Amino acid sequence: MLKPEKMVKVSLVGPIDYFEKVSDTLYELNLLHIERPVEDEYFKLGQPFEKASWISRNLVQLRSILSYLKLDPTKFIPRRKYRIEEITAELDKKLEEYRNEIGVRIDRIKSANERIRSLEDELRIIEPLKVLGIPPRLLKDYKTIRAFVGFIKGDPTERIREVTADFEVFIKEFEKEYITAVFVRKELEEEVFRVLQEFGFREITVPDIEDYDERIKEIQEEITRLRDEITKLESEIEEVKSKEAELMLAVEEYLSMELEKSELPLESLVSRYAFIIVGYVPEKNFDEFKSRIEKETDGRVVVEKIGGGSSNKEEFNPPTKLKNPKGIRNYEILSTTYAIPKYHEIDPTVIMAAFFTFFFGLMLGDVGYGLLILILSLYLKRVFKTEGWQRLLNIGIYCGISSIVFGFIYGEYFGPFVVPGIEKPAEAHFAGDALYALYAFNHHHPIFDRVEEFGVKALLFITLAIGMFKMLWAFALGFRNVYVEHGFKEAMLEKGCWFIGVLGLVCIILGFSYNLGIFTSPPPDGFGRILPDNLYVFGPYTVEQAREVPLPIPVLVKGWRVGVNVFYLAALPLIVIWFIIFLKAEIPKMGAMGVIMGVELLTWFGQIMSYARLLAIGLSSVYIAFVINYLGLKMGTPPGIAILPLAIIIMLIGHTVNLLLGILDPGLQSLRLHYVEYFTKFFEGGGILYKPFGRIKRFLE
Amino acid sequence: MPPEALISDEAFIKGCAAIGAGLAVGLAGIGAGAGESGIGAAAVGAIAEDRGFLGLGLLFTVIPETIVIFGLVISFILMFAYG
Repeated sequence: MLKPEKMVKVSLVGPIDYFEKVSDTLYELNLLHIERPVEDEYFKLGQPFEKASWISRNLVQLRSILSYLKLDPTKFIPRRKYRIEEITAELDKKLEEYRNEIGVRIDRIKSANERIRSLEDELRIIEPLKVLGIPPRLLKDYKTIRAFVGFIKGDPTERIREVTADFEVFIKEFEKEYITAVFVRKELEEEVFRVLQEFGFREITVPDIEDYDERIKEIQEEITRLRDEITKLESEIEEVKSKEAELMLAVEEYLSMELEKSELPLESLVSRYAFIIVGYVPEKNFDEFKSRIEKETDGRVVVEKIGGGSSNKEEFNPPTKLKNPKGIRNYEILSTTYAIPKYHEIDPTVIMAAFFTFFFGLMLGDVGYGLLILILSLYLKRVFKTEGWQRLLNIGIYCGISSIVFGFIYGEYFGPFVVPGIEKPAEAHFAGDALYALYAFNHHHPIFDRVEEFGVKALLFITLAIGMFKMLWAFALGFRNVYVEHGFKEAMLEKGCWFIGVLGLVCIILGFSYNLGIFTSPPPDGFGRILPDNLYVFGPYTVEQAREVPLPIPVLVKGWRVGVNVFYLAALPLIVIWFIIFLKAEIPKMGAMGVIMGVELLTWFGQIMSYARLLAIGLSSVYIAFVINYLGLKMGTPPGIAILPLAIIIMLIGHTVNLLLGILDPGLQSLRLHYVEYFTKFFEGGGILYKPFGRIKRFLE
Repeated sequence: MPPEALISDEAFIKGCAAIGAGLAVGLAGIGAGAGESGIGAAAVGAIAEDRGFLGLGLLFTVIPETIVIFGLVISFILMFAYG
């Protein structure tokens, strides 16, 4: 689970006559991850098989039709599948049919659309001219007179008069501009044009038509006719689409497969008489792989393991095939978003699966919201069928369940029913009394009450404890990863040193917590009693006396004594050891500056603190829910019975918003706790994902 | 002669602690907001270019939120110690 699938490096060598056969077999096996080869003196990269050009030509045509029809092979859910024989039997006929039935129609639609566009352009010129009200034949240039026709921003009459007195201007408002026709003598053409340009003149070409209205009518008729034709063509295409969609996609898949097969030589080396393919196969499939290839080619193609293991590390660079149980595989979309683990690295998906779900529940922790998330995920699973969505929604289901479990522990059903400062549960929650009765087994209190002060305190400590634990764990995993790749000394200097440093920090935090009385003070009356008291209380330590020894810091306030305890005493040597190892690691690299880098220890302290968000995010959503309930109850119960509908609307909207926040925030923060605080300590990534030669068929059997 | 105190020392300390706790969360919130604004703008830009960046963009945007958590922890400690 924690390790990717074990791989072996294999080579396939055989005579070139068997190349196509091998390509077919490899594709069907769908096991070999091919490594891109390097050419040498005798072996060069191959050329695609002959059929490739025919296939790719047809494939391009078919794909352009599919894209016009908006048929996406990755999203379409087929109702039936085809056998390969069915496809090959009438491949040519079908391709011809698609070209004639759909391709031709698409071309006709395109040309009709173009015609409509040019007609509309004409219309855009005719309409303003019509406003001007001068027949088109009068707007053309005369023998001695130049006619300027076009759009203009203002009235140029005055300015033209400065140039000449012999002119005529017609001007009409059109939309936000003016449409104008200016007639001047040919000799003055250039000067007047300059004047017109000052007013932002844009000339238009007067079309060769007799009458505006007639032409407009003609154009509109033609556009309507073309639009009708397009609709008809589209409905015909739609008919073919609904009938042939599966078959078309199956043909596309068949052609893509054949194309990929015939392009195998591009990823292998060939000489005149032989070919070599090098790649990786999962170790457990190797025997099957070898025997199948050798059987299909009568032993003429030789399959052999090469290198592998420790002998030649540089040459052995296998792809990562993540290996996780079924439910956990869903979480791969979360962990691989960060990075793809290298072959030798630990695959953290399992850890992430457990903690992501746990954190989500710990933060949201509400039976009502959890149920809604569960139902929503189950419903959306029926709507969104693509693999990515299915995985995400499966995670949603797990997170919903986790929220329900924690919601029961916290006693929250669309908000808490026991809130400090409010006497009766019925005043804090719309179903307060029922919940109060439900928790009779626990003296009418939630099992763990996180809105109560002690609950907050305890949860704060618990979240920090989770943080400390995960921080140490991450450094331990980092130690392991470095140890495997570079040996003990490197691992100790790079990760082990921080492990010790953080352990020292942990001791300091524990010591501080101890002095705050977190381990020694029993929960107050009324706090959840179903668990034995000593779950919250580690019990008095034998270092009671040590705690009484004050450090030379003035005691601040009664109840918070600053004292030495066993944790502080343990922290001291750890920090010293950390610092010594740290200096050993940093001084050779950084010189004296290395000492300053020790400040980085504080970063880890910050990251431990960062886990307090597990408490904070949850509390905020609890209080929002409580406020919504409280508002609703105050408005909806007598004497305010008149505004009951408003109260219901407020509760509905409020809880919807809180639910959305409750999905988004815990989800993101939980991810972040993994990506930023956890993975950075041990997870480098940069692996290549295992992509075997072949494909999983979707439209073919 | 010092003027007679209007409230007891204990109440004064409690009040100051409450103000301090409020400031810790509030100022940290402003800081984090200022930090997130830049990242958020850049993330939205990136998402407009490529929808696939949505998850990563959202994630980057919440990174400065740690600062608010620090503020919150401080305020909790203040309230536990003095409140």
